[in-house]
Amino acid sequence: MTETILKVSDLKKSYGDLHVLAGIDFELNKGEVVCVIGPSGSGKSTLLRCLNMLELPDAGRIELHGNEIYGGGKPKDLDVLRREVGMVFQQFNLFPHMSAKGNVTIAQDKVRNRKKKDCDARSIELLSEVGLADKIDEYPDRMSGGQQQRVAIARALAMDPEVMLFDEVTSALDPELVKGVLDVMRNLAESGMTMACVTHEMGFAREVGDRVIFMDGGVVVEQGDPDQVLGNPQEKRTKEFLGLVLSH
Amino acid sequence: MEQFFNTYFDFGIMGDYFGDVLNGFWWTIRLSVFGGVLALIWGLILSVLRQLPGRLLSPIRILAIAYIDALRGIPMLLTLLLIAGGLGTLASQDAIPKEIGIPNWLGYPDPFWYGVMALTLTYGAYMAEVYRAGIEAVPRGQMEAARSLGMSHGQAMRYVIVPQAVRKVIPPLLNDFIALMKDTSLVSVLGFVEVVQVGQDVYSETFNPSALTLGAIMFLVFTIPLARLTDWLIKRQESKFERGIP
Repeated sequence: MTETILKVSDLKKSYGDLHVLAGIDFELNKGEVVCVIGPSGSGKSTLLRCLNMLELPDAGRIELHGNEIYGGGKPKDLDVLRREVGMVFQQFNLFPHMSAKGNVTIAQDKVRNRKKKDCDARSIELLSEVGLADKIDEYPDRMSGGQQQRVAIARALAMDPEVMLFDEVTSALDPELVKGVLDVMRNLAESGMTMACVTHEMGFAREVGDRVIFMDGGVVVEQGDPDQVLGNPQEKRTKEFLGLVLSH
Repeated sequence: MEQFFNTYFDFGIMGDYFGDVLNGFWWTIRLSVFGGVLALIWGLILSVLRQLPGRLLSPIRILAIAYIDALRGIPMLLTLLLIAGGLGTLASQDAIPKEIGIPNWLGYPDPFWYGVMALTLTYGAYMAEVYRAGIEAVPRGQMEAARSLGMSHGQAMRYVIVPQAVRKVIPPLLNDFIALMKDTSLVSVLGFVEVVQVGQDVYSETFNPSALTLGAIMFLVFTIPLARLTDWLIKRQESKFERGIP
């Protein structure tokens, strides 16, 4: 039986006249990897940012494990939500005044209240898992974008989240650094992590994704099995988008 | 020319009163250090209060903004006279305890502490604006990353935003400190014998301002290196970000 972790119903968000999210319904099941694709301005990043309330929706409903987190007004249990939902950003957003280990450790220490020894051990373990065992004491400005992004992934994982959100995490990277980050995400998916990825990496979506969601104009236009959506799209807008993306 | 030189640089007078001027300057230093450190702390508190999030906390935000605007808009001399006059009067009427109204902490006289209070209140407001600029210069993504890890606003400020902001604003804070150091001379209006008052006293005795010149030199010995240090820090920060030739 599939266990639904995040359930989003009729989620809406607008900036003035611009309806960025015009009623989104979407579920994320345990262990599932969902890739959200779509043209820029389609609302996919906003959707992801609404899932952990970095962006406050205007209306709709978000449930975490069946508990309402958002129901149209003020978000509830924001702390619980953010502890369970890890997020990785396009621009990494590492804390520049801390070493790689410091970045991965700080929230374990201050939010999870883990013992210093346990924090350190976990940080070293995670940094090794993302292939940065030799960069533990390095500062962000001395690391490549790909390395920084892998630290950011380790930092989010250190909170032992149930869900990981990836917001175009390879878009700011030089082409040769993309694979290292995608490999980390691939391993994470194989380990059973529940993931929602906004991405332009169609190959990744096809290979790793359990489901692909195509968004345009603030709505879900088409969703389903990656081979289906990417290989044999049914909707005109999906076809047009994929035609543009895959032709170059 | 010789008259000019003898008026401002009478080495005889400078030598005779060197010890007195130095004593006065030592008070100037102590005023600067107490006032400076307290203003640094008070300014940081104000700037954090000013940045509190949410509608619920808006009264605190508004109070902080009103305070900062008011204290920056009043001459420090006036603030100093209001404190000295007010606290002394209130204490003599037993409206507030004598220990607070006429402070004698650490054995230092009450004008010293009135001066420290005025410096802290005024320069705290100036420094709050400097800190604010630093806090606002930290990219938005830093707060988002911290909050997405489950940190509260307070934790994010304390561990992520403020440490970065403070680093950015050390040079402008040093500039404010130089200004604060010079404004310690205002405490002379309370009859407090810091360096300017000593110079004035010597002038009344000798009708020669050379002791004031000596005081000015003592100021420069501190303020010029501080100004150079500030410039050097700014240059170093810039070179960190801009590697090319603009």
